[in-house]
Amino acid sequence: MKTQSAINTYVKEIGGWVASQLEACTRCGLCADACHFYQATGKPEYAPVWKTELLRRAYEQRFTISGRLRLALGMDKRLTDEDLKRWSTIVYEACTICNKCAMVCPMGIQLGPLIHDVRSGMAAAGVVPADLMSATMKQKDIGSPLSVTDKIWAERMEWISDEWEVKIPVDEKDADTLVVFTSIELMKFPDNIAAITKIMDKAGEKWTTSSKGREAVNFGFFEADEELTKLFLRRVFEAAKELGVKRIMISECGHAYEAFRWTAANIMDVPKGVEITHIIRVMYDFWKAGRIRLKKGVYDDGTVTFHDSCKIQRRGGHIKEPREILKWLAPTAFKEMTPNKEQALCCGGGGGVISIQEADPLRFAVFGMKVDQMKEIGAKSVSMVCSNCRLQFTEGVAHFNSDVKVRGLTEMVSEALE
Amino acid sequence: MNEKTIYQNLRDEGFSRRDFMKFCGLVSGMMGVEFTGAAKALGALAGPEPTRVAAEALASKPRLPLIWLELQDCAGCTEAISRSQSPSLVNLVLNKIAVDYQETLMAAAGFQAEQAKRESMKKHHGNYVLVVEGSPSTGEDGVYCTIGGRSNLDLLREAAEGAAAIIATGNCASFGGIPRARPNPTGARGVSEVITDRPIVNIPGCPAIPEVTTGTIAYFLVMGQLPKTDSLRRPLTFYGHTIHDHCLRRPFHEAGKFAESFDGEGARQGECLYKLGCKGPTTYNACSALKWGQGLSFPVQSGHPCLGCSEPNFWDGGGFYQGQSAPLDRPSAAAIGTAAGVGAVLGIAMAGANSLRKRSAGKTAAPPDKGSPE
Amino acid sequence: MEWTDILRFFHGPFFAVSLIIFVGGMTYRLIRIVFLGWPRDRVESRGSKAVGVVRTYLKGLLIFPFIPWVRRTFGKNALTYIAGGLFHLSLFLVIFFGTPHMLVWKSLFGFGWPTLPTPAVDWLAAIGLASLLILLVNRLTHPVLKLITKAPLWLNWSLVFLPFLTGYLMTHHILFRYEVLFSLHMITVDILLIWIPLGRISHFLFYFFSRTIHGAQAGKRAVAP
Repeated sequence: MKTQSAINTYVKEIGGWVASQLEACTRCGLCADACHFYQATGKPEYAPVWKTELLRRAYEQRFTISGRLRLALGMDKRLTDEDLKRWSTIVYEACTICNKCAMVCPMGIQLGPLIHDVRSGMAAAGVVPADLMSATMKQKDIGSPLSVTDKIWAERMEWISDEWEVKIPVDEKDADTLVVFTSIELMKFPDNIAAITKIMDKAGEKWTTSSKGREAVNFGFFEADEELTKLFLRRVFEAAKELGVKRIMISECGHAYEAFRWTAANIMDVPKGVEITHIIRVMYDFWKAGRIRLKKGVYDDGTVTFHDSCKIQRRGGHIKEPREILKWLAPTAFKEMTPNKEQALCCGGGGGVISIQEADPLRFAVFGMKVDQMKEIGAKSVSMVCSNCRLQFTEGVAHFNSDVKVRGLTEMVSEALE
Repeated sequence: MNEKTIYQNLRDEGFSRRDFMKFCGLVSGMMGVEFTGAAKALGALAGPEPTRVAAEALASKPRLPLIWLELQDCAGCTEAISRSQSPSLVNLVLNKIAVDYQETLMAAAGFQAEQAKRESMKKHHGNYVLVVEGSPSTGEDGVYCTIGGRSNLDLLREAAEGAAAIIATGNCASFGGIPRARPNPTGARGVSEVITDRPIVNIPGCPAIPEVTTGTIAYFLVMGQLPKTDSLRRPLTFYGHTIHDHCLRRPFHEAGKFAESFDGEGARQGECLYKLGCKGPTTYNACSALKWGQGLSFPVQSGHPCLGCSEPNFWDGGGFYQGQSAPLDRPSAAAIGTAAGVGAVLGIAMAGANSLRKRSAGKTAAPPDKGSPE
Repeated sequence: MEWTDILRFFHGPFFAVSLIIFVGGMTYRLIRIVFLGWPRDRVESRGSKAVGVVRTYLKGLLIFPFIPWVRRTFGKNALTYIAGGLFHLSLFLVIFFGTPHMLVWKSLFGFGWPTLPTPAVDWLAAIGLASLLILLVNRLTHPVLKLITKAPLWLNWSLVFLPFLTGYLMTHHILFRYEVLFSLHMITVDILLIWIPLGRISHFLFYFFSRTIHGAQAGKRAVAP
């Protein structure tokens, strides 16, 4: 029953886009060394090409003559429940869908999206790591994977307003921009919410938050459950329509940006004429247009580096914005890690991995590589524009007893406001 | 038998003993074979030295009766032999050895000539050498080639029956030659495909190199048996190597210097003729070693690519001027078009079936099992 | 049955058949994918998909496909990059710029082109053979490759290796007579032509799909591909 759901999902998803790429694979194995999980552990099963194996089997065994023959003659393995379980661990706990593998593949195969497709079969079969599934259910029922109810949300926002002496607009009509925060920021990095508020106000932007469309995070997207992905997106889109905003701005979150900006239009109807953007772009534009002014060299106090978030830099293209800002804020102290920009090393916490306790040893093993990267350049502090990365970095530097300071870039910008 | 030996005949014609030994040297040189077997065959008397072996044989043997049959031929092999410049090589064989019947060269003609032939075959039954030039035509009982009202198959079998050995000279007699080229309307074959119960040796070439034919005849005369051959029954001495093996243009081949056209600089410089269609690498013959015209030249040396004329089916070998590497058969544009069309149709059919499968999977996909996590 | 007959057959009618199967098979593979459904991309692009495609082809095909553009990936995969790259280089140069092969294309297309000097092609072929052997050892020993390699891939390697080997032996007159090696070369080439549409060697066709998709995805997001 489970395997049939998974197979049906795979069959449904396999069109020319997927099939041509599955056919293109030459089994060269170069993707393995691009994957941080393989690099950190050396386990061959973590090679991206192996992660997509179930999809390949479903494709060949259903869509090709030779595959069907091989299956009929018993020369190929049928998908079993054990396979699903095994692969579920691999694709949910040992992959962050960072898509570095696609950059290394000599054929240019988009392994990240293909692994996402493998996940969707798992989601249909209900074979998803327990922690992830329960977080998703919470978001479905309560509105947030961290169990933030409407009440908690409202109370928390009020507390932040008080604590940081800012006024956070909620459900205000006549706003141009709808800002959507994440539960992570709300609960773990409330200073970020305050920081964004300060920046938006300083720039004189007409903005608001929404009590209905209050969660940017999308655990349906992590699970690769299309219906839940759409549900969580819809909550924000409905709010945007109701409020009549011109654009939706995602706060410091990576996968939310990927879901809203690069996925939504292809799986559902999106509000017409509503731009979808990210805080990094918005504050960069404010700065360039002179709507906010930043003190130069404020963070020149020890080597500062930038961590490129997979979904915002490699998969989002916002590579120059954070760098220009950091070079202003730390003209002599800014140093790049290696590799960087679109080739950057993933932090190891994205794609839902950080929410799965069972995956902790893995994500810390990967993070060890980030620690090495920072040591290599003698970094004293690191910044990023994704809260998930920020959480992984915060927990990671503690795990490795590193004294590197972890800062959100937005927080740095707000503190440098003139 | 009071027949004079060859030596005696030569002495009668005014050859001195010295001339005879020179003559034997020429014969043995022409045969160009290993002599250990011969030495044993002729006893220890002759010893291993080739000239002495030839001398012993020619001193003790009478002239050899020889019947020369021409079937579907152009008489080119005969022409090549009779145009041969050096009297000692060809004359020696054809004149010092009796030729009782040779359609092209003999003066007699018609039924009388046929009669003379049959008498000679009867007289020397079991002892004569049969040389065949031209291919037998097996189509419709051999009606496509008749001599004196009799089919060539008939004549061939009759002549072969009493022959001590058969020498098929030229590509036609060896493998069927030009009459065998596609579509082979007369059912041309090699002699050895028609006569299977007599010792036969093939001397292919178009024409056969005269010295090779006569050398083989001389070998039979001296040794009393046919020389060692390869799997296509060609004497190893002459057909053991390819044109390529001894070709004087080989260094150009190895260096990759090829003539691009017959009047280009490459041709003028004597560069390799591979690109102009030379079949040298797969052609076994003595052309590049022995050469033609008593060692004067051979096609490649004179600037023309080797045709491969000592190999079976060389007329269907892809074309004289097509590079040897090029395929002998090409699918026509229509065949390729059809293949692509069939592939496309099958591809669309499969894609269609797959699309249907996708649609039904979409419909039957059960709602996600969101019960208790594993 | 003589080697000359065998050569005639595999260099003649069977070659024509192999070529027909090759064309039909590849067309089938291509059409089967093309008609499987390609949904429209309704996401608004940030950059230009076309620019991304051009850039990725420049990097991935026209300059040299085996430059490790992504930093710090060469060290662990040096063998794959070097041997894989040299093998492909050797393959293309020998097949298109070796004189005997050019004559094959000439007979098929009706026109030829200048070729590389024979000694150069000779060296390239030797490099190709060595690369193939290195790649075989790599595939036998690398943990990831061992996991993902099944029987069809060994067949791929063998059917590519044999024409290389027989061709090399043939041109150097090693081991067997020329027409024997020529026959073996043609047999292995014909079998390879038939096998290509059946397996992953047809990656040379699907490369254009995956590369273009990669370039478009990167260009859409205004990221270097």
